[in-house]
Amino acid sequence: MTVQIQPQEEAVGFDFSNYARNQFLGQHMNGLPKATSTGTTIVGLKFGGGDSGEEEGVCLGADTRATAGDIVADKNCEKIHYLTPMIRCCGAGTAADTEFVTNLISSNLELHALSQGRPVRVVTAMTMLKQYLFRYQGHVGAHLVLGGVDSTGSHLFTIHAHGSTDKLPYVTMGSGSLAAMAVFESAYKPYLKREEAVALVARAIRAGIFNDLGSGSNVDVSIITKAGCETLRNYEMPNERGVKSRNYKFRRGTTAWVKENIRSLIVKEDVKITSGAGKEQPGIEPHPVPVGAGPGGEEGMDVDS
Amino acid sequence: MEYNGGSVVAMIGKDCVAIASDLRLGQQSVGVAMNFDKVFPVNDKLYYGLPGLATDVYTLREQLRFRVNMYRMKEEREITPKTFTHLVSSTLYEKRFGPYFIEPVVAGLPSPTELDPHPKPFISTMDTIGCITTPKDFAVAGTASNKLFGVAEGLWEPDLEPEDLFETISQTLLNAVDRDALSGWGAIVHVITHDKVITRQLRARMD
Amino acid sequence: MNAIIQNLSTPSHLPTTEEDELKGYGNLDEMGRIKGMQIPRVPDPTAFLNLYTDSMSSNPEAKIKLAHGTTTLAFRFKGGIIVAVDSRATAGSYIASGTVKKVIEINPYLLGTMAGGAADCQYWETYLGMRCRLYELRNKERISVAAASKILSNIVYGYKGRGLSMGTMICGWDKTGPALFYVDSEGQRLKGDLFSVGSGSTFAYGVLDQGYSYDLSDEEAQELGRRSIIAAGHRDAFSGNTCNLYHVRENGWEFIGNYDVSQQWYEYEAKKKAAREAASSEMAVEV
Repeated sequence: MTVQIQPQEEAVGFDFSNYARNQFLGQHMNGLPKATSTGTTIVGLKFGGGDSGEEEGVCLGADTRATAGDIVADKNCEKIHYLTPMIRCCGAGTAADTEFVTNLISSNLELHALSQGRPVRVVTAMTMLKQYLFRYQGHVGAHLVLGGVDSTGSHLFTIHAHGSTDKLPYVTMGSGSLAAMAVFESAYKPYLKREEAVALVARAIRAGIFNDLGSGSNVDVSIITKAGCETLRNYEMPNERGVKSRNYKFRRGTTAWVKENIRSLIVKEDVKITSGAGKEQPGIEPHPVPVGAGPGGEEGMDVDS
Repeated sequence: MEYNGGSVVAMIGKDCVAIASDLRLGQQSVGVAMNFDKVFPVNDKLYYGLPGLATDVYTLREQLRFRVNMYRMKEEREITPKTFTHLVSSTLYEKRFGPYFIEPVVAGLPSPTELDPHPKPFISTMDTIGCITTPKDFAVAGTASNKLFGVAEGLWEPDLEPEDLFETISQTLLNAVDRDALSGWGAIVHVITHDKVITRQLRARMD
Repeated sequence: MNAIIQNLSTPSHLPTTEEDELKGYGNLDEMGRIKGMQIPRVPDPTAFLNLYTDSMSSNPEAKIKLAHGTTTLAFRFKGGIIVAVDSRATAGSYIASGTVKKVIEINPYLLGTMAGGAADCQYWETYLGMRCRLYELRNKERISVAAASKILSNIVYGYKGRGLSMGTMICGWDKTGPALFYVDSEGQRLKGDLFSVGSGSTFAYGVLDQGYSYDLSDEEAQELGRRSIIAAGHRDAFSGNTCNLYHVRENGWEFIGNYDVSQQWYEYEAKKKAAREAASSEMAVEV
């Protein structure tokens, strides 16, 4: 007789076990908790080549505000995510989704590069992202601007949460996309120099920071050319907090407390100085161990006697 | 979140971190317990708080205890605050479409290593689906988070010594919680330094 | 067609002719009656109000949040009436104020309590004060508590279903002695010896019931009222901060004091602890 062993199905992907419960809870309480989202301005443009006399590349930009409802959850977050050494990806939408999607695809791209023995192309990253997002029908809320350089040149894409993609020379996304696009539409031209490109991207992000309530704080920029990728974290900081001229330090003992417990992390041990184990030494009184005192002593297991 | 109430706050000081929570467990408007601790230790110098739905506090705490113990056995070393944050984050994201109603706060002092002999104090927070933020000043979560943001933004300052950090975090929590109907009913503060952990239960408003 | 428009734009049950406007004072007519509340000029005012106001937590998404968490109580005993209330006002889970006056001093002989919509209670109980004064001037004697509470009850019944939200106790001393009535916006009016209203009322009743007797002394009665509010303020998230205590006697009401709920709670705990210790030391002697 043969015994068939059913192969245990491996648990992969998302776990929906709390879904029904939360649906119930949502109906009986006032609303479900809101996830951190990046009410965001993210942009990208292609530059160089043509008559600019410079190497062609892509320049990506992002603001650094993360929001949870009407609260600024993080004043200086990072929205330009690493995919491969030559590919970066800006994320807007549900913050956790942009973070985990880019991490997952980055990991898969690394494996892909290793198995193929050559750097991956930007279209590959784009295809993997769109296929993943399409599978979740927009429920994974990642809106991305993807840019990078590979063996076929420099590329710039936008990827929407439902899985659709665009390939354009200049793009903007997020809640500040309209403000940023206004800048691009008025000032973008092909074959910009690198310096001009960085300045234009920063200007577009600034338009988002100042005109869109969901965007704010600082400007992050990434420039990718064949020579490599340069990330300028906090390239501009137009919203630095004013310095407090006085402080609100409390006098020690202000707060009344009822119970205290101090746990010391320093291990204290008394060490007795001796100059020879087991020997009789002058000036040191020997303390003979009484019979039956050690562990197991009562059972007559003494070895010393 | 609003079902059981509760709030947690963490702050960075000079070579120290502090994490504090209220002690209320409620059922909507009715207070049920005033000893519901939401802050748990991972190891000597790493603590985390779990404000939110009480049933998930227990589930997540046990889940994390299991995963940290597995980490300890495989790696034969203590988990660092940063790694622990990512562990919590991926535990939460696993349930992306049916999340735990918890917004964790992590606070820890990383131990010096050969690569990093002077590590900085570390705090972080996540939303319910595991989006990490690692502030340089303070982290807040729970039903009083809006109020905590406001008070902490005004009271926190850099490089506070452990005893000063205790006063700042205590006053921040107490004053924020006094404006929140669903938090309060006692408070507990942990201040973590390199050579000791000071835990104090505060005298708070009980209404 | 014009008739339909007329019907929709002017609520037919409220007299608002030009003639009416000229008489009376302010928004009062010549009889001292209120001329009529402005009501949203939409086909269904009630549905419209429900969309924007959150009376009794029916619509948590509403823009206008009314304060509703409260504990108020009043009871009759041989020394008069004790009125005790908390002082917390909440908007959602936010504690908007901790120093609200929830006892409305209608006149030197009448007190009203506030639960539900703060504005509704304040407005209509103040208005009740005016009506009581007019009664005094016409009849050369003070209005009975029964009559006063009935005026209020009749007014709010006229607005039934239009979104008024109030649960109030009208307390006073008249020819019949101490009198206590419960009036709410549903139109209910009850005479009784002991009432508690609000989200913390169940907790207050718990303490009240185990300590209440008609023959309580003044001090005992005041302490019972205070203790009940402290208990409710402790347990109920939407009540607390401070307790305001009033005592109605034959010659009118008297404000007894304002007590911090948290501070009082710690005192009661200390007393309980001391009593426990005393009891356990007695036990030790016996053994």
